Amino acid sequence: MGYDRSLSFIFRCPTKIVFGEGVAGDVGNEVDELGGKRAMIITDKHLVETDLYRQVEKALGRRYVGTFSAVEPDTGVHIVNEGTDTARKLNVDCLVSIGGGSVIDTAKGIAIPLKEGGRLEDYDGFQLLTEPAVPHIAIPTTAGTGSEVTFAAIIKDHQEKRKLVFANTYIIPNVALLDPLMTVGMPPHLTASTAMDAMSHAVESMHTSERIPISDAFALHAIHLIVNYLPGVMEDGNDLLARGQMLIAACIAGAAMSNTHVGLVHALAHSVGGRFGVPHGIANSILLPHGILYNLDACPEIYAAIARALGVDIRGMSDEDAGKKAADAIWELTKKAGLPQKLSEVGVPENGLEEIADLAISDGAIVYNPKPMDPEENLKVLKQAW
Amino acid sequence: MAYKFPSEEWIAEFGKAINANEEYKRTAATWEGPVALIFNAEPAIGLDEDFCVWADLWHGECREIKKVTLEEAQKAPYVIRGSYANWKQVVQGRLGPVKGMMQGKLKLKGNLPTIMKYVKASDELVKCAAKVPSEFLDE
Ligand SMILES: [Fe+2]
Repeated sequence: MGYDRSLSFIFRCPTKIVFGEGVAGDVGNEVDELGGKRAMIITDKHLVETDLYRQVEKALGRRYVGTFSAVEPDTGVHIVNEGTDTARKLNVDCLVSIGGGSVIDTAKGIAIPLKEGGRLEDYDGFQLLTEPAVPHIAIPTTAGTGSEVTFAAIIKDHQEKRKLVFANTYIIPNVALLDPLMTVGMPPHLTASTAMDAMSHAVESMHTSERIPISDAFALHAIHLIVNYLPGVMEDGNDLLARGQMLIAACIAGAAMSNTHVGLVHALAHSVGGRFGVPHGIANSILLPHGILYNLDACPEIYAAIARALGVDIRGMSDEDAGKKAADAIWELTKKAGLPQKLSEVGVPENGLEEIADLAISDGAIVYNPKPMDPEENLKVLKQAW
Repeated sequence: MAYKFPSEEWIAEFGKAINANEEYKRTAATWEGPVALIFNAEPAIGLDEDFCVWADLWHGECREIKKVTLEEAQKAPYVIRGSYANWKQVVQGRLGPVKGMMQGKLKLKGNLPTIMKYVKASDELVKCAAKVPSEFLDE
């Protein structure tokens, strides 16, 4: 777990994080504090029909000017541009997103051209903005992506079939309203898979070559919360204490990752998702323990710390043995949560593994894995996970 | 002899160093497209206007490298911009280009996932830059 004197980092988490049951109802005050007069809600077509949505709209009161509810899973450049047009027509000066990662990323995307002019694709790049984007209050309805505190928005160019990453300090949401009541409606399967996305953010932020101590602290606590509260929330989706702790876990795991990187697990999960449509959380959940075992000899002391956070009694164990126990503990957690254990169970054909192994090499995350990867090494991990 | 960083002489040496680097040739074998580097103007150290470099990088080779105007530089599919102090850190090997972007010290215009595929190649470019004996404007 040690660092050497070459350690140098910047840690950013400028988001005001507001937590508590019912805090979504404070959205009006938050808009006022940001100097907003005309707020637009960004959400999807399912959420817009719910009471959760209506409460937020009501809480905005006179500040509310309209809603853009055309966000779809895996949001796209065309959706963001359509949302921007709507916001321009309504003369919007503050954005409120209600939803999961795709909705929050859409709002991050809209915030860019709404401030700078033009279309979203004009800002394809890294840290390109020179001033803060339009203020954005994020209200997550899932506990997984951590997008409410991260500096990236992943938006697909569906026409060109490529992924655009808008990574910019100035699109980190200004406020995250973490309200456990907003996540009670999440079905068990989604609850579990999004939680494992958060778990993967925490573990990967620790084993990446770019890890930093502040992220370690966030990640270790996120791991501790997920292992302790996921079983409860799976048993009773209305357990508001557990729902709340899961929201906190996803948020701090996101903050950890946003300041470090991810590695092998995400690189493979992105490729499995891109090629065979396996949902991000499910792919991460299946691949995470295999990623740990594969990387074990590169950083056993990190996995020993992760094992401890997972509640494993590692006294008297070597770091390697403790690391193996970390993988076991994750398997136990995902089995209990009813998540698939093998890639073969989620529609990935065995003859597709080589293609995934090749694809993952061109994923940016792979570079920051603690062990250097190539297609053959990727294939070893994938075969284990199949 | 040391070359003033940045200057036309310096970038010419940089181009030679790129073409002498086998590891760059290998890791950038599929890279296609010019990259522009912009050093923000800083009159206090003698950089009266933005200093812009155009590097035509193609399949592991530097086909051409030259000083261009800001207008020309901005036409490149990939443009990386930063202050003199941050570029200096990069060529001295104290700041990785991707880490520099993560930290907001360098700004990239262009498709990030594409750049990320070539992180190793970008590290090699930095090594090439470090090989050029440099005389820094602020020292
Ligand atoms: Fe993720």
